[in-house]
Amino acid sequence: MASGTENEEILDDELDQPDGAGFVPPIIVARYGVLTALTAAVTFATFIYFAPTKGYFNMGDSMVFFCAFAFGWRAGAICGGVGSAVADVLLGAGFFAPYTFLAKGSEGLVAGIIGRLNGGSKLAKVLGVAAGGSCMVVTYLLCEVYLLDVGWGAALAEAPGNVIQVIVGGTVGILLAWYVKRVYPASGAL
Amino acid sequence: MTRFEDLYTEADTFLHRLDPRVKMASVLMLSLLAIIMSALTYLLVLLTFIFVLLLLARSSYRKTTFAMKFVLRFMALIAILWPLFDPSGTPVLIRLGPVVITEPGIWRGLASAARVGCLATVWYILIFTTSQRDLVRGLVKLGLRFDFGLALAIALRYFPTFGTVMDSIIDAQRSRGMEFEKGNIFVRARKYVAVLGPAIVSALKTADMLALALQSRAYGARRNRTYLRELNMRPSDYVALVAALAMFIVPAIAKYAFSIPI
Repeated sequence: MASGTENEEILDDELDQPDGAGFVPPIIVARYGVLTALTAAVTFATFIYFAPTKGYFNMGDSMVFFCAFAFGWRAGAICGGVGSAVADVLLGAGFFAPYTFLAKGSEGLVAGIIGRLNGGSKLAKVLGVAAGGSCMVVTYLLCEVYLLDVGWGAALAEAPGNVIQVIVGGTVGILLAWYVKRVYPASGAL
Repeated sequence: MTRFEDLYTEADTFLHRLDPRVKMASVLMLSLLAIIMSALTYLLVLLTFIFVLLLLARSSYRKTTFAMKFVLRFMALIAILWPLFDPSGTPVLIRLGPVVITEPGIWRGLASAARVGCLATVWYILIFTTSQRDLVRGLVKLGLRFDFGLALAIALRYFPTFGTVMDSIIDAQRSRGMEFEKGNIFVRARKYVAVLGPAIVSALKTADMLALALQSRAYGARRNRTYLRELNMRPSDYVALVAALAMFIVPAIAKYAFSIPI
């Protein structure tokens, strides 16, 4: 197994080369694919009936925050957004998938940008969770009211569940980022 | 964990044989149709039409009910809560302090519930009748970059695997005395770190292996890569595409050019 530094070297080499047909390097493809799958699996596996509308509370946000903190905003947006959307489709709530993609994608993006400021300090991560989480809750609310047209009643009924999901997911996400960095430094996670 | 079910069912109906790109376009068109319609009758007609299509796709009863569980709860919630937040309209039925329930409010709530029902069930036409492989191939044909498509294919492929991995980690932690059912939501969530941590590490190791496998198979060697199976549009696919487009465009013209209420 390649160590962290070797991995980074392979990465840099591939990015520098003009050939390789301009594709994303294989380690990135594999890692993003796998993290997306894990986000979907976690969303799918840990849901508890809770929020009245979508009918489930899940820990998917912890994976979104983990991806964002450990691998940056790109991973947060892609793995978080696509993974959660895939989980929605597989859970039989496919009509939510585009909105989930927007909501969780923006959550991962914002959390990834803010959470890695100042070298990824604790305060930055907490701020990242807060900012990313509010992005998610607001996006869901606006999409449900203006695009899905479900009315303010149903949309507001869901918001508290989302807020709790962000708080729980954010806490677990920060813990996971710290844990993986310590246990498996070869992954190159920050 | 709820056991994962692949919603796709193997069968040989016309919907299964249809090109995945055409199915995606049809789903998009029917969704747009549901969004622009506001009359309850027409929405119910559309909903019935979607259910007829699902019936023709020979979707299994068990999978349909599994998928409908979430949708029905959501629809019921909209139908109940909408009138409470929409006090417009004249025939007032109930007036309880600030809460005013009107007859048009109730109808609008039902229409909105029917619309969400349409938007939700129309997806099943695609998901029930298209294998993951075809789905990704269709997206790549539609212009998704191949490497992104590959990442998506990896994600769909490994989704059930990681479900199993998490199950065995949960069992392992249980056998060491961890109780996942105890405590409030925060205590329980904290316990899941002991599951998600090992799951992530195992996933990242899988990713490293996968990257090696991809490289050893000359991933990204040339831009104009070839495919073993090509997607080709057959005449029937074009007919279906035209029908799907007409199903959206005709009512849209009726509504916006001739202002016929639909």
